[in-house]
Amino acid sequence: MKELVGRLAALDPDAGAALQVIAYFDRLVEGRAGLESLVRGAAVLAGCPARLVDEERGIRIRVGTDGVRRDEGGLVGSGWMSAPLVAGAAPAVWLECDGPPGGVRAMVLERTAAAVRDVLERTRGRTPVADPAADPASVEVLLDARAPEHDRWRAAGRLGLRQTAPARAVAPWDGPPVVEAVTSPVARGPAAPGYGRAGVGPAVPVLELPSSWAAARTALRFTAAGTEQDPGPGTVYAEELGGLALLAEAVGPADEPIPDVRALERAIASAPWAAVTLHTVACATSLRAAAAELHLHHSTLQDRLAQAEHWLGWPVHEAHGRLRLQLALMVWRLHRDQRPRSTGP
Amino acid sequence: MTTTASSGAPDDRTSLPPVPFDPELSAALDVLTGQLGDTLALDDIPGVRRASLAQRPSDETLRRDGAFEVEERTVPGPPGEPDISLLVCRPAGVPSPLPALYCVHGGGMVIGDNRTGIDSALDWAAELGAVVVSVEYRLAPEHPHPAPVEDVYTGLVRTVELAGELGIDPARIVITGGSAGGGLAAATALLARDRGGPALLGQLLMCPMLDDRNDTPSSLQMAGLGMWDRTANHKGWTALLGGARGGPDVSPYAAPARAEDLSGLPPAFIDVGSAETFRDEDVAYAARLWQAGGRAELHVWPGGFHGFDVMAPQSAIARDARAAQLNWLRRLLAS
Repeated sequence: MKELVGRLAALDPDAGAALQVIAYFDRLVEGRAGLESLVRGAAVLAGCPARLVDEERGIRIRVGTDGVRRDEGGLVGSGWMSAPLVAGAAPAVWLECDGPPGGVRAMVLERTAAAVRDVLERTRGRTPVADPAADPASVEVLLDARAPEHDRWRAAGRLGLRQTAPARAVAPWDGPPVVEAVTSPVARGPAAPGYGRAGVGPAVPVLELPSSWAAARTALRFTAAGTEQDPGPGTVYAEELGGLALLAEAVGPADEPIPDVRALERAIASAPWAAVTLHTVACATSLRAAAAELHLHHSTLQDRLAQAEHWLGWPVHEAHGRLRLQLALMVWRLHRDQRPRSTGP
Repeated sequence: MTTTASSGAPDDRTSLPPVPFDPELSAALDVLTGQLGDTLALDDIPGVRRASLAQRPSDETLRRDGAFEVEERTVPGPPGEPDISLLVCRPAGVPSPLPALYCVHGGGMVIGDNRTGIDSALDWAAELGAVVVSVEYRLAPEHPHPAPVEDVYTGLVRTVELAGELGIDPARIVITGGSAGGGLAAATALLARDRGGPALLGQLLMCPMLDDRNDTPSSLQMAGLGMWDRTANHKGWTALLGGARGGPDVSPYAAPARAEDLSGLPPAFIDVGSAETFRDEDVAYAARLWQAGGRAELHVWPGGFHGFDVMAPQSAIARDARAAQLNWLRRLLAS
């Protein structure tokens, strides 16, 4: 292997050497090799130490040409060859040798970065593939169903998305759209940190991202600020809406509210506790659980509900009344204008 | 794929699924097979020998910037046979007597010379302060059994005879070899026991080639895959044994797996990859050494192809394998 490595390094980027580099990293990815194996591959094939530094994820790996990991290695040289993990991001993979750019080493670098990205997507579950601020145009093209397929492929490539990994769109309440790779369709994770209030679309093949985006925007309409006057979930997953998604199509901000929503608005305007109390009762498994969540005595809650039922005009104690309350709360949220200030159809 | 006529084993075992290679080794294997091409098929033995001659390390390389003194010693061969050559690499400036690593190169019984793969031994010798003695033995098919093993055995006897002159402690000689060299080393240990020859301190057998029958589950399972598959193995053994290969009359000094008595042998270190032809015969040999009341250390490296520690030395698993070999030598020489 020592000889072959020497030869690879010395070779011009002819077809043979290039194919070998590609095959080497393809095999590592197929075999689900870890990050250290990838960095080792870079060092061995390039014939100089290689390092992977991703401060955000706390990853620092440095491997010598002999395959031994030695993370200490001093500062990055100004002339070293490097590659980011995604277009537009800061460099993350380094070969500890000065250019010239091009050649087999450039290919080693590019394949290493791509393979590292693959591993991170697999092992870290959900990886924002690119800083949308760095490439908003690509995100816009990717989410636009009217854009030619060819253009959307190229946009996906620029954002570091792979054909094989599903991705989803996220519609933040306050911010540009986000596209992220998802390793498994069921990977959901906790309420997405990072975005704040957001609707999250389903994981789909890259070319179907416009539909994920549409669903994310629908989900966003079901989110709430989480305040006393606007209680409810900050993050809503489109896949969890079920039949409620149909409501979103039927209700627009300009439509005349149904009488139940008018009644709900009256109740909320009548007492500062009404919104939170009704939301909690609608979501809780029992009145006792609702009282506990609201830090109220059971009898206090009973009194408040009696008052609220008076304002609403229907009982919320039993199943049908609770369903009616839940629907009224949902439709009430949908009436508000919550379209994100964003691109897309 | 070649079928072994003599094994009598049902060939339905060929349907066993192969063991996957370790990811790093798999990546290296692709590059290696791309570069080595057909050489491993052994269809052109003279051509392969010419190519390997071109890669023969020079004395200068072996000296490693003055760390070793290098000489080739010509010594008498087996009775009535040609002289043989011993490559001797001695750590410079280290007081005698030193332990010795008596090395038997690999190459399927048909290729290689006494500088093939010597790097590994020099690495150990540098760490341990040991002399490397590497024997040049005659190759099959021009020189079938018993020529190779008799040369190796005779070289060992000569090394002991010359111990004083070479600065070697004759009580601390470890025989070592990989692949065919591992098989010849194991066979030489059997010969030394049976002939009352030199007492070896240990035998370090790396993925040794032990069984001419070539019909273990691993041999069938890994057919056509990795390095030195069943077909190549068939060619190597046939070169050594001709028509006798796989038959009832093969000597244990040709194929140590044939030995009925494995008692009274020096401590053994055996390693092998889980994804190679020799896995099962090597594991069985270690088990039989224990059953005979012997001392043996066995390592089966997961996803390793034949010779992975030499062919892909940078891989994580190769470095672990190399460390295990060195650690065993260190313990053995400290005892």
